[in-house]
Amino acid sequence: MSDPDVTPDPIDAAYVEAEAVLSDEAARAARRARVLAAVTRQGARDAPAARARLWRRGGWLVAASVSGLALVIASQLYRPPPLPLPSKPAPAATSTTGPTTAPALPAPALALPTKATARGGKSEAAPPPVAVAPSPAPPPVVVALLPAPPPAAPSDAAPPPRAFLGGAAAAPPPPPPGADFVASQQAPARRADQALAGGTGNGTAVTELVVTAEKRETHLESVPVAITAFTSSSRDAVGINPAAVDPGAQLRAAAAAGRTEDMEALLHQGAPVDAPDAAGDTALMISIQADHPAAAALLRRHGASLDRTNHAGESARGMAAERGDAALDQAIGLGP
Amino acid sequence: MEPDLADDAELLSAHGAGDARAFARLYDRYDRPCFHFIRRLLGSAHADAAEDLHQETWIAISRNAGAFDAAKASFSAWLFTVARHKVFDHFRRQKVAVLAGDEAALMLVPDPAASPLEAVVSRDLARRIIAAVEALPLEQRGALIMSAHAGLSLEEIAHATGVAVETAKSRLRYARAKLRQVFAGERSVHV
Repeated sequence: MSDPDVTPDPIDAAYVEAEAVLSDEAARAARRARVLAAVTRQGARDAPAARARLWRRGGWLVAASVSGLALVIASQLYRPPPLPLPSKPAPAATSTTGPTTAPALPAPALALPTKATARGGKSEAAPPPVAVAPSPAPPPVVVALLPAPPPAAPSDAAPPPRAFLGGAAAAPPPPPPGADFVASQQAPARRADQALAGGTGNGTAVTELVVTAEKRETHLESVPVAITAFTSSSRDAVGINPAAVDPGAQLRAAAAAGRTEDMEALLHQGAPVDAPDAAGDTALMISIQADHPAAAALLRRHGASLDRTNHAGESARGMAAERGDAALDQAIGLGP
Repeated sequence: MEPDLADDAELLSAHGAGDARAFARLYDRYDRPCFHFIRRLLGSAHADAAEDLHQETWIAISRNAGAFDAAKASFSAWLFTVARHKVFDHFRRQKVAVLAGDEAALMLVPDPAASPLEAVVSRDLARRIIAAVEALPLEQRGALIMSAHAGLSLEEIAHATGVAVETAKSRLRYARAKLRQVFAGERSVHV
């Protein structure tokens, strides 16, 4: 038995014929030319547009990668020369009690305060932020070798040595502004230099190198690449307030990357679920464009709007429709 | 003129590979039903937006061609899904309330067995038919155009509108019933 709803209906034919009678072929031809030209133009623009969207979604990842690469290159290209040996090397044990003055090293500044903090166990007493960069002029640096932590339990296998140049966690007081603060422990420095050369003299390879230094602000403008790391105390000192960071922006960034756990935490902390970016895109729109159904579903569960429109007049509902992804539609409640 | 036997999905794929003619062929297949679908959903009050929304629809199709999966839906269902959302987005921007039709009431419309219309013989009558279509509830209007003009199946209409097949079937039935009622009135006037 045939279904009357799928068989041709005279009403349908009448409607189609009415459209044909009223159709304007000249207008149709003009519309065709306009649409195809627009599609061609759009295709030509799509490549840079795709790059822009990629940057918008994964900008943080790219920035982190570039920073990491710069750090590796700097550590490989700018190794400090050997320190001049004093007539009486100081005992290594004094290296943690405070640095003493030594000639400045023409070395780049590499900042890894968190490593030093972990070693020293005084996270809130870390020195001010430091810059990571090669320097055209020898900057003042803080040099100290941190002793390896005692093993937690006796073991036959000693932990790999770690050479530290820097005094962050050794808790030397930060230098006064503008003053050169150069401290060195020669014996540790020599050992560190040996470590930089690839070993410590006993044939053991260095597995981790942590160098911290301090660069005067007067030279910062000449630094081609600078990375600044803050401890919580130094961050507070320079007036960076994490609470002031836009939680909506954090939510959108997490949505773009599909980090649902971060999104969950942000939403529970009260991040606005529909906060738009400069283009009017919400986290839900971004998660749809980035093809993260789980993130989109999470946002929908927290009440994200499907119908709010961005500055281009596009809604999350429309974006999902354009993608034509049944799984996505189901995730955001649009599936049949 | 040789018939265009290429599959919609093949044409879309060729467009993604850079074949501009493939997209033009695809456009020519669906230009009329797509435009009329948009134009009729908009109604006379928003007719000026039809050209822009039609263009936006095809640009969206072009840009998302790579995401189309023929295993999930037909191209025509996808096209009308996009077009429908363009119209609804327009309504939202214009703060137009999209009212759900009283479909239950339409169940009471008598369904004359014999169609009064065998052909449309004049532009005047054609305008009346179009006016009657535009007077249908939005979703019924869309279902009728997708079926009548583009030949979508009930399953494809359901997919394009995000509803169950039975719902799509009901909308189509109510739309036809309402039009028959209108046309019955036309016949009584003209006879």
